[in-house]
Amino acid sequence: MKKVFTEAAANSKDYQALTEVLTHKTPEAVITEVKKSNLRGRGGAGFPTGVKWSFMPNNEVAPVKYLVCNADEGEPGTFKDRFIINQMPHKLIEGMIISGYAIGAKVGYIYIRGEFRKEAEFLQTAINKAYSDGWLGKNILGKNFTFDLFLYRGAGAYICGEETALLNSLEGKRGEPRLKPPYPAQVGAFSKPSCVNNVETLANIPWIMLHGGEAFAKLGTEKSGGTRLYSMSGHLQHPGIYEFSPTLTLREAIQEAGGVRGGKKLKAVIPGGASAPMLRADEIDVCIDFDSLASVGSMAGSGGIIVMDETTCIVEAALVLLKFYAHESCGQCSQCREGSPWLSRIFQRIENGQGKLADLELIEDLCKNMAMQTICAFSDAVTGPALSSIHKFKEEFIQHIESGACPLKNHQAKRV
Amino acid sequence: MDLSNTDTTKTKTKAPQQITIDGQSLSFTPGETIMQVAERAGISKRIAHFCYHPSLSIAGTCRMCAVEVEKVAKLMTSCSTPATNGMVVYTNSEKVKASRNGVMEFLLANHPLDCPVCDQAGECSLQEYNYEYGPSTSRFGDSEEKRVFENATTLKLSPLITLNMNRCIHCERCVRFCAEITETHELLMVNRGHHKELTLADPSKGLTSDYQGCLADVCPVGALTFNDFRFKKRVWFLKQHPSICDGCSRGCNIEVHSEDDIVYRYTPRFNQEINKHWMCDEGRLSYHRGHDKNRIVAPYFEGHECEWHTLLADFTKSLKSSKSALVVFTTDATSEEVATLTSLLPQLHKGGPINFRYISSTPDENPNENQDENQDQLLRRKDKTPNRQGVASKLSPISEADFQSFNDLVIIFKGSTSKLPRLAFSSSKHLYLWGVFLLEDLENIRASNPNIRGVLPGVHTLEKSGSYTNCDGITQTFTAAIRPPKLCVPVERILSKILTTVTAEGEAK
Repeated sequence: MKKVFTEAAANSKDYQALTEVLTHKTPEAVITEVKKSNLRGRGGAGFPTGVKWSFMPNNEVAPVKYLVCNADEGEPGTFKDRFIINQMPHKLIEGMIISGYAIGAKVGYIYIRGEFRKEAEFLQTAINKAYSDGWLGKNILGKNFTFDLFLYRGAGAYICGEETALLNSLEGKRGEPRLKPPYPAQVGAFSKPSCVNNVETLANIPWIMLHGGEAFAKLGTEKSGGTRLYSMSGHLQHPGIYEFSPTLTLREAIQEAGGVRGGKKLKAVIPGGASAPMLRADEIDVCIDFDSLASVGSMAGSGGIIVMDETTCIVEAALVLLKFYAHESCGQCSQCREGSPWLSRIFQRIENGQGKLADLELIEDLCKNMAMQTICAFSDAVTGPALSSIHKFKEEFIQHIESGACPLKNHQAKRV
Repeated sequence: MDLSNTDTTKTKTKAPQQITIDGQSLSFTPGETIMQVAERAGISKRIAHFCYHPSLSIAGTCRMCAVEVEKVAKLMTSCSTPATNGMVVYTNSEKVKASRNGVMEFLLANHPLDCPVCDQAGECSLQEYNYEYGPSTSRFGDSEEKRVFENATTLKLSPLITLNMNRCIHCERCVRFCAEITETHELLMVNRGHHKELTLADPSKGLTSDYQGCLADVCPVGALTFNDFRFKKRVWFLKQHPSICDGCSRGCNIEVHSEDDIVYRYTPRFNQEINKHWMCDEGRLSYHRGHDKNRIVAPYFEGHECEWHTLLADFTKSLKSSKSALVVFTTDATSEEVATLTSLLPQLHKGGPINFRYISSTPDENPNENQDENQDQLLRRKDKTPNRQGVASKLSPISEADFQSFNDLVIIFKGSTSKLPRLAFSSSKHLYLWGVFLLEDLENIRASNPNIRGVLPGVHTLEKSGSYTNCDGITQTFTAAIRPPKLCVPVERILSKILTTVTAEGEAK
């Protein structure tokens, strides 16, 4: 079976798709092809990319537009964008030029997370090379098409992966999500219509241009085209980046990665980055595409599959994530600012053996008051690990509370 | 594009856009938010809110104003959600109440629960909403320590404003005020999440704008307080009275807060045409002038305090006997005072016609500058008197020559507490001062004219009714907010006293 990135890594013919597009395709044709491909955003939300592009106003209404690449890969358990940047930066650059051509943007920004220092240097080198080779800049391939690409480094905030917070940060403001509407396609970076796409999404574009939208669509499910990069981490025999068709089940994916480390029993899986509600070991016979995972109450998100074996203390695992969220909340909305650290405290006291049974009810209540109540999806994400852990591993919480200690501490629980 | 535009106009004219809030059908203009429609209908009190402020941009962060909209799964913030035709909104459904209760619980988790020692108590949104929507007990837990910002309990941001960061609920109204209204960008938030902290952009400078008091106004809780008022009075003792600020020719609408005829503060009162929700610090602090210890509050005759009848007898005599008379109004007199005196005084004067003139305030530092122009981009005016337009519409200004030519009877009428303008007269036989004067005013006048015969103590803006016409020609009336000192009386009472005496004398003859 064909795999987009596995093939791309083997095939070093960069900018072949770009040449093809600039000589033979109109921007509209590019958008049509991407729509056909059923490519859905790889950042986590899974929004159809072609549809997103078609929201961009035309050149007469908006002569200045921006394409922004979201390379603020901060979702715990996700490292596929870093892989693309390190292994095939020119696929990303090429994808951005084609996308810019499609939506009528003359300028692109890559917003890369601050912690990716080496990646930023590497990517800048690649951008410079693309400039010197004539793939970027004025009149690319002698055509009447100009595209400039700028790399912008974030300052280390998880929330800047949210597209409107990213735009604020790109503008030099506090990285706080904006109220929507207006959506970025109307008012984006520097108040101009902007399209924000994930690294992996954009890196898929050259393949789609070379092989056609239909071929790409066939690689995936009915509603989600293409293969996907999955970041497999946790208690696996062979953690790392895997390219899977989303028709694979979670169980198969884990087996592909060598199964659970040391022959231990599987306990829980987080299937789509930290924000995705966790699944129990008996729930993993589900396909890893957006819709299947959503149907079992979790999400495919950013494709970060975190595997936990039987030595894991679920309370502690959830606590680690909640501490992260408490630290990363931007602090705009009341519920998220105050709720995230509060939840993390409650989990901490349960883990310390000082919890009360009433705490479980309190957690439910706080999560109910946080979910779907704020500007962005951050507070919904916080409730993911909090609620799924107490729903699916309630006995373990009760054990902590009743025995006044963590029952797994002696088993040397491993941090995720 | 054009076609679609005509389409919308057609539908607009066909059927007015309607939104239903709590069963009440309301029309709206496209672009208005749910909150704005509710405000116009006078039902915005039903929608609790912290970060929303009608004169500031929309933040949508406190989430307190979330309301239920039919056919929408999520609660929508009414401050940021545009009204659409046929929208059905519930401001007090069970879902909304639960959400408000949730927000209150989160906000109070780290907020100090010490209302009795907080100066905002009694006018604190957090406190008020908690009575209505909040939980009565805390689930945060006694054993948990609340968030405490270091050295932040009473941080002086300037001589006028104190910040208590522990009380802040992060609505950022103050940040937006500095960015959007004064455009000084003096405040900003640093750090993230629950460590987010309000900070001065330049700590070495502190706050420097001329509208700092508004920061305390926009702060819904006790985080930013105005030092002049802080811990002076519990707000529930204060009587509120609508009035007009007489600090400059803008005529900002204010509320006078007083107890037992002592004013404790001014707060701005909304007026879209004049001052919106704001007022300057100079005006805000100008109430102190009304309580000046050096104000002349008793009748004064030939260098001594005296009884009113002694002074009035002499004043009436001077009026009758003088050949020529000049009455000079300062531009802080009300239009009514000018009208009353110009119509009634001539009846008492037996000599030639009385000359009525006005004198406008002239800044000491620049005597030639006489214009009334904007002092900044917001509200402040260079003319520090409230009624130049009103007085000037009835009288002509006085020239130095006028002052020189009148040396018989001169009456200076000063309506309120603004600074006394420079008076350039030669000695007159009978000089009377009428209205609101300070001891130092007397001394200053005495330097050029030793013959101050009497002072008729009058009342200032807060102690009387009247009207002022502001710099834009808008006439605004006001009534007395407090009672004047015992012996200070308004013009009409003095005149009626004089007239009854004169009539009685006439009848006796």
